[in-house]
Amino acid sequence: MSDNGPPPGNMYLYDNITPPLLDGSYRFNVATDTKIDGTDQNLPGATNYFNVEGPRFTLSPALVAGVFPPRNGHGSFQENLPHIALSRRTLPWERALDPQGLIGVPTRGQGDPPPPVGPAPWVALLLFEEGEYTILQNQPLESVVPPDVYQRLGSPANINCDAVQTTLPVLQAVMPSVEELTVLAHVRQVNKDDRELSAGTSDGWFSVVMSNRVPAANAKFCACLVSLEERSDVIAKDPPQDFHLVINAGPIDHGVAAARVAQPAALAARTPSSFGRAELAHFPGLLSGVPVREPFPFLRTVTLVLLYSWKFECIGPGSFRDLMQGLDVAMFGTVKNPGHPPVTDTGHIAISLGDRAGIEEKALYRSPLAPFQLTRDSLGPYHSADQCRRATPETGAEDVTYACAFEVGRLVAAADARLAQELMRWRREAYRQSARGDTLNAVSTAIPVVQALDVHTPVVPVVAASATERVLKGRGPAADPYGVNSINQVIGLNPAAVQDAFQLGSQAEAAAILGANPGALGASVSAPAATPRPATTIDAVATDTAALQNLSTARDRLIANTAQKLGGKA
Amino acid sequence: MRAAWIQSKEALRLRMIRPEQIAPGEPEAEMPPYMESLLAHLRLLVSVPFEYLVPDSRLLPDDSIRFFYLDRSWTDRLVDGAIAVGKIGTREQAHHQAHAPAVDQQLDVTERIVRKIQMRSGPFPDLKKTNDKDPSSNGPAQVITGFLLRSAAVSGWPAMDVRAYKTDLPERLDPSSADAQAAQLRTLRLERLSPSVLIALFEGIPQLVIIEEPHHAVQFGVQPAFGGFNIDQRHADGTQILDGSPPNQVTRPLFVPVRQANARVLSIASLRRALFARQNADNMPRETGGASLAVEVLNPPWRQRFEGTIDHAGGGGTSPGFLSSISIAVRVTQPEIRVALQSALQSKVQP
Repeated sequence: MSDNGPPPGNMYLYDNITPPLLDGSYRFNVATDTKIDGTDQNLPGATNYFNVEGPRFTLSPALVAGVFPPRNGHGSFQENLPHIALSRRTLPWERALDPQGLIGVPTRGQGDPPPPVGPAPWVALLLFEEGEYTILQNQPLESVVPPDVYQRLGSPANINCDAVQTTLPVLQAVMPSVEELTVLAHVRQVNKDDRELSAGTSDGWFSVVMSNRVPAANAKFCACLVSLEERSDVIAKDPPQDFHLVINAGPIDHGVAAARVAQPAALAARTPSSFGRAELAHFPGLLSGVPVREPFPFLRTVTLVLLYSWKFECIGPGSFRDLMQGLDVAMFGTVKNPGHPPVTDTGHIAISLGDRAGIEEKALYRSPLAPFQLTRDSLGPYHSADQCRRATPETGAEDVTYACAFEVGRLVAAADARLAQELMRWRREAYRQSARGDTLNAVSTAIPVVQALDVHTPVVPVVAASATERVLKGRGPAADPYGVNSINQVIGLNPAAVQDAFQLGSQAEAAAILGANPGALGASVSAPAATPRPATTIDAVATDTAALQNLSTARDRLIANTAQKLGGKA
Repeated sequence: MRAAWIQSKEALRLRMIRPEQIAPGEPEAEMPPYMESLLAHLRLLVSVPFEYLVPDSRLLPDDSIRFFYLDRSWTDRLVDGAIAVGKIGTREQAHHQAHAPAVDQQLDVTERIVRKIQMRSGPFPDLKKTNDKDPSSNGPAQVITGFLLRSAAVSGWPAMDVRAYKTDLPERLDPSSADAQAAQLRTLRLERLSPSVLIALFEGIPQLVIIEEPHHAVQFGVQPAFGGFNIDQRHADGTQILDGSPPNQVTRPLFVPVRQANARVLSIASLRRALFARQNADNMPRETGGASLAVEVLNPPWRQRFEGTIDHAGGGGTSPGFLSSISIAVRVTQPEIRVALQSALQSKVQP
């Protein structure tokens, strides 16, 4: 089953939906089977009990999603099978009808269908005519069910329930057999998109239990949803005999045939002997199957646990179709008896109201449901009811329609404390936002920002960027960003001063001394001319006595200087 | 003197630590969810006393249906009145004046999810988010129409299906078909006001309104026959098996025996045996259990059609929508009855 319901206007039918666990008491044992190094290391076992509980002897009316025919309804229901829709889809299958199999397996003849799929429900919808039943309220369970059934139910103490009492022949005639019970219940899933909302919300699933009896016209009936749990004493494994018309029962005069056509059922029930001897065998319950010790079987009463019941009457038109066809269809403002109440062309009616002075006066009012299309008033919003009062031009009468609407809205809202709070919150938030907006406006006037400020976007980065930019623009260019000019003013670093002090030939020379190496500053410098060196040999050098003389003189001077430094000794 | 609710220093700090002023995309007139939901409900007259809707009980007599156009100005005043709560000064008035267009616009969109809220299909913020993004819900406000129904059917048949269509779709109408889906008007509200009064609101002007018997309460029916009852044999999808060619098709009856002991008690076992013998023909359901039996004894839910037709009241000619004099076209869903009618009347019965 998928969660997607059927498309609009369709429904799905299921044979049954069974719960994972039937209602009842359960025991669960916990045991471990662990071996460590060959020895048992089992934890102590535990035994616990739990119950799965559901409706058993009473049914909450909240679980009833709908009944047909309607409760206390009057109508022509004589062609419809009563049924009840329960809002819990598993309800009819939450208990076992006959867990011990006391009813027995239905006999299966030639051409019989296979047994229905799924378990039999534990509830059945039985229809009784007025006079066939008695409803007993708040009976102890012991007095409702026979002792053996009570025992099989687990002898629950202090249970009171409602019950329906009837006679055995009536019950036997109505009670479905076990297989009939199964097919009389099913589950439905409907589309809930276009449904009128009822008090309870539903998931679109319903379990439906049908009755097998068709109500007769002009009679009162009571439909009873009964519990049949363990009631193997009243459920037959095979359905009772069908009614067969015997066509060749000998000469029948026309009067009888006509009567039969009109009311064959009544004829059969009331005058069985008129069908002749062959038909008598079809009434074994009345003639042969009765134990001698109970001469009055129709006086034997049977009581069943009653879960839910409703009455209806089969009379007159009253089906959905009849009701719908009988509707008076018109636009709003149409009245059956024109002039009562007088409705104006505009859809207004006159109402009397007391004005501020306490004087009764007539005013016009029109409900929001208008018989024709109206233009939407664009002069909103209105702030008080008086603002919405109008005078009609034709008669001068006051039109309080919209003033009424205003007051209804005000009263509905005032009755809702939470709404008043939310309104305050809404306003406060709006005021806060407008305060923010004002702040932002003030900021953007003071600081011309690069982009418009918006309450939704971060403001700080925009304002910070704009402010920084603005500050930078306002400062102007720096005079001597690296202090070069100041350094030039220092006297010892001025090439002109240096040239003057050291009497250098040119200022460029002084600059060179100060380190103003054009190469270091990136200027291209031509390579200095290489000194010409003539090729010579060691012998040529040795023969240069003059140079040798110079060298030895210099050596002697160096030695003399050194000796002098060391204290006058050579 | 009242202390300021926030100090400027603190305000500045908050301004600095918050990455943004207001979450992006949050419109300035954003209403608190509860308020928005309640006002949207008010727009559809939820919680408006019944006396204001029907000021005189004679305007809605027993067993009547009254169609109407919803007066948008009325509901706007209702909302104005609700917002007027706590309006103590000019500041609140100025605020309302400034925000009213945005509020109106938002409510025009939000009123389309009121039914979903009522059906509890999800929390309001989620529904609103989906709805606000849905282009089909974002159009301008449409005309709202609807009806009030006072009938015993409302209490007797709870949860009936109501649909409105902008075109007059012919019968047999399958509400799940693409045509029908495209023509269906959005149901804005469908609710019982009292045990016997139902209100329905639709977005747009319908040409056809159908009311169907509730589907979970689809009845089971039989037709009386000689010595028992008849049912119509049905396909597995619930439609009747028809013999013959249109328009003279007839249903295929199946005799349902009754019990000997009580002639009003159907012999379900015999019926099942008879259905089992036919289960392989004509796409009939396999006789497995309750569902297949239920399909066969089904009475399809009655569908009542209300159609916009020619205005017989004045000399108005054909109407663009439904007019004051709406004539009820009795549609017969069962073709054999229509055939019988046609032959009986010997005149044109509108199909």
